[in-house]
Formats: sequence, C-alpha cells, structure tokens
Amino acid sequence: MSAQKTERLINLTLALLATKKYLTKAEIFTTVAGYTGTPETMERMFERDKDELRELGIEIEVGGLDPLFEDDLGYLIRSETFQLDVNQFENEELLYLTMSVNLWHNSALQANSKAALLKIQSLSGPIESDAVNLPVISDAENSKTLSTAFDSVEKRYALNFQYKGSERKVQPYGLYLQDGFWYLVAKEKEDIKSFKMQRIEGKLSKIGKEFAFIKPAEFDLAIFLAKSRLEKKEVAVLRVRKNQGHALRSKYSVIEIDDEWDQMEIEFGFDQEIIQTILWYGPNVLVEKPEKLRLEIKSRLQVLANG
Amino acid sequence: MVETAAIRALRSMDLIPFVLENPGVSIAELAEKFSVTQEQIKSDLQLVFMCGLPGYTPYDLIDVAFEDGIVSVIDPQVLNRPRNFSSNEIVVIALGLKMLIDINQMNPTATAKLKKLSEKVAKLGGSNSILMAGDVSQVPFFEIISKAISQQRVLNLQYHSLIKDQVTNRLVLPEKLYFLNGSLYLLAMDINIDSDRVFKVELIKECEIGAPANVKKSVAAPVETTVILDIQRENQSFIERNSSIITAMEERGKSTRVHLQVSNLEWIMRAVLSNAPGITVISPESLVIEIKETAGDLLALY
Repeated sequence: MSAQKTERLINLTLALLATKKYLTKAEIFTTVAGYTGTPETMERMFERDKDELRELGIEIEVGGLDPLFEDDLGYLIRSETFQLDVNQFENEELLYLTMSVNLWHNSALQANSKAALLKIQSLSGPIESDAVNLPVISDAENSKTLSTAFDSVEKRYALNFQYKGSERKVQPYGLYLQDGFWYLVAKEKEDIKSFKMQRIEGKLSKIGKEFAFIKPAEFDLAIFLAKSRLEKKEVAVLRVRKNQGHALRSKYSVIEIDDEWDQMEIEFGFDQEIIQTILWYGPNVLVEKPEKLRLEIKSRLQVLANG
Repeated sequence: MVETAAIRALRSMDLIPFVLENPGVSIAELAEKFSVTQEQIKSDLQLVFMCGLPGYTPYDLIDVAFEDGIVSVIDPQVLNRPRNFSSNEIVVIALGLKMLIDINQMNPTATAKLKKLSEKVAKLGGSNSILMAGDVSQVPFFEIISKAISQQRVLNLQYHSLIKDQVTNRLVLPEKLYFLNGSLYLLAMDINIDSDRVFKVELIKECEIGAPANVKKSVAAPVETTVILDIQRENQSFIERNSSIITAMEERGKSTRVHLQVSNLEWIMRAVLSNAPGITVISPESLVIEIKETAGDLLALY
C-alpha cells in the first residue's frame, strides 16, 4: 500500500465531487495531483483507481460531452450519491438514529453499527444522553458468518455450507431476524427454505462470482414470511389450577369448573409448542383435549418417570 | 486483512466531517471510533492535510490542525458532510428503528416520529431482502425504566415470575436493558435480597419510579449451581437460547452434553419437564430424583 496512491485516490474523489461538469480524462490527468508518467501509465492508473473506488460503493458517473467521441467521455461524483444531507434529519431524529444503531453495538452486527454511528455523529456531534445507550441486543451469532450472508444476499453469491450433517449448495434470497435469531432464506435445488444461521456448521463459503444467479422478480421476502406463518389452528382444552398459570390467565379467559380447577381454551399451530407450554406448568396445567396431546404428554412423562 | 489504498482513502476522508462536527476530539478517541491505532490516525490526518482540490494552493487544501493530541478542521473543502450510509448500515438502522417502534407502541408521539424517520431512512436505500419477522413485544414501561437507569433511581415493580408462577412486588435498582432471543430483559439489583436478578420486561405488570438510589451495588455474586444436561438434537434450540449461561459443551453423537451455571433450580426443573424427554439431567443427583418424582406425580394426574 503506498501513501501516494491513497493521496491520489483522495484527490481524484475530491475533484470529481467538486466539479459541476463532467471532467474528461485529459482534464483529470493535467489537474489532479498524482497522475504522472506516460499517457498509457496514467490511463492504467486511472482505470484501476476508478474500479477500486466503485468497488467500495462510490458511484462515479460517466457522461458524454459528445457521444460520438469516446475521448470526450467525462466523469463526476454526484454529491447526493456520496454524502448525506446535513439538513436531512432533525436533532431528535439524530437521537433516535443513534439509539437504533446502538442497539447493535454488542451484537454480531457491531461493525455495521459502529460505522453507521460514526456517520451519525458526523452530523450530530457528541450526544450527551445516557438514554441513547439502551437497550442493547445480546446475541450469540457469528459475526463473520453473518457478514458473509449479508454480502451474499446483496451481491448474489451462491453459498456452500454444512447444515444438519450434510453439505448444502444454495442461492441466498434473503435474511430475517426472528425471536433474536437470524435465518437465511435460500433456494436449495428446487425449494426455497429457511436455514437457522447458528446451525450452520463451520464456514459459510461463497462459491464463484458475484451476481451468479437470478433471483426471481416475483420473490418477495415479506410475503414468503407471511405465508410460512399461516398455519392450521387447532384448539386445546386445558384445566388450570386456581391461582396458578398466571401468564396463561393474562392471555386467555377461563370458565370455572370447581373449587380447584378452571377450564381454558387455547388455539395452537404446532403440537410441540403447546406441549412445551403445558408441561412448563407441571401439575398446575393439564390437557383434556385433543386426545393426541394427552397421549403424547403421557408418553413423554413416562420416559422421565422411568428415568 | 491487508488494508488497500482505497479503504485508507475513504477512512481518511471520513475523518474530516467527523472532526468538523466534533471539534477538539482527541487522537485517542478517533483511534477508538475508527478502530485503528493512534499512529494510523496521525498518519491519515497527515495524508489528508496534503490533499485538496485542483490548484493545490494552500487555499485549496484541506486544512486540519492537530496539536497536543487534539484535532480540529479549519477548512474541510468538499468533505463537510459524512458519506452516505452503506446498505448494511441502513439495514442496521431500519431494524433498530423497527424494534424501537414496537417497544414504544404505548407512546403515540414517539411512535409517530419513529415511523416518519423510518420512511426517511427507507428512501436512502436499504434492502427488502433483510427483514425482521414478527414484532417485538410492546413495553409499556420502557420510558420509566430508561429514565430510572439513566438517573440511577429505584423502581417498584409488580412482577409476574414465570418460574415461580406468581406475582410479587420487588424494589430494584435497574442497571441494564437488553434484548435476548427477541425479548427485552431488565438486569436489576433486587434490593431486599441484595442480589442481581433478571426480569423479563413483558412480565412487569406495574412499574413506578422511586427515589434516587441510595444503595450500594451488591458485590455478592448470586449463588450458582453447575448443572450437567444431555440434550437431544431435536431440542437444540434449548442450547441456542441459553448460550449465555453454558460454560462447557461436548458433542456426544446424537446428543450434546452441556454444563450450565444456574442460580435457580426451579427454572431448570420446568425447562426439563417442558422439553421432555429431550433433556436428561446428569448432575446434580438431587435434581435427577426431583425430576423423576415430579414426572411420576404429574403422570398420576392423567
């Protein structure tokens, strides 16, 4: 890494940012500090500089002064694509922005959180309020894996990883956060599936080049998620002991059966979920219907009781 | 990772609007904020000091002053504003705002402002491929709790404990609010028992702010027991949800053996029952017996 090159990149960015009209290569070579050597050398330098800046997300716009002559092509960076607008956010909004990024400062997304905070503080100056430091998200995600996934969704890299004991090759379509866990939505063979990020074993590897597959235009992550939540609802009839099961009582109403018990009806989607809830309360919540839940709970308890 | 000239160029440029808005910032603070060494910050500043607009007379150069470890910008040239947020940064902001909207549902003024801000942020780009599924529970007492933490005041809580399945009144000194597994928790010192406790915020039924705290932070750590469990693959989410208290873990074919530090054995009892038969208690022996008996008693009720 050379300081001259860094200096030249800064000067180039500043010149392209300050200009109101497209700057031709010839103008760049004569006015921007750092371009020296033969015309071919300068040409190569410029092409590389431009590519490297673009790779880091800087939009260098190309415009023709005369469309017939490529020599007359010019370049500029529009301020609105490069910089935030100072008046974009009110002071209170800057406070909320600070809170929203600070949420992540201990999480696997802390690098993004830190980078965003720098920019917010470049608009707001120092914020002297403890309130912006709470709450925080605590997670056990692997930040490297998560950042590879973010990058692959954005740049459409195919991915390769070990999951539930087998090797997977997928096309990532999206990511979502649910109950504090990240999930990757990806196409594996012909199916679109969710993979829990923490269950990815070992390394998450990109395969091949960026933009390696086409994500169907009709795929919409929000709709995909809404669909997977539409599950069949069944009703369980429970017996809840008096003065017990407070969390359930605050969500569902009861009918009195006798001095000891009340009856409660709960809608549920998955057997596993409702069984876990019922068993949590031990002898204070029993299931009456449906029969399949009674049988399942009894057989599970049998295993525990037999040790 | 080797730093490229382009990455260094961007960081050097990012320094300018930051210092402009935070005049008198120290080299040490810049190093911390930008995650590089102080030497690197100095050399970055020296570098941008040499840069500027074509013409390159002193008048066209970026003008930075740093003396005695304190930095200020005299002339930023075109670098008077920070760079735009990257798409990943927008994701972090957008998801954060969504969570703030959810927890502030009881406060219509704050919610309206947050929603307006979310729309502004969405216009900056962002992604419809990275989302939050479902909502975070609303937290009616969010403002009161935040206030109590920042002003170091005590809180009177009416708390419904899921573990004991009862509602109790607690006097606490709140320390920290955090999200874990999608729920908001409050870490606070329970003044009457002189020990730290964790409260699930959605189970707080009533909450009143009290006097400034006049209590010393307890130094006594809560009494913890080491519990050893074997967990079947199907019950893996128990491990994922409790990773913060797991001290050791060992794969054993179809199951995983974990060591946990637990301050409340009643919680473990309920968790084992609830995950039956996917979790087997290995130690302590008293818990093994208790689980067996409880399961037997419960079975008798069916």
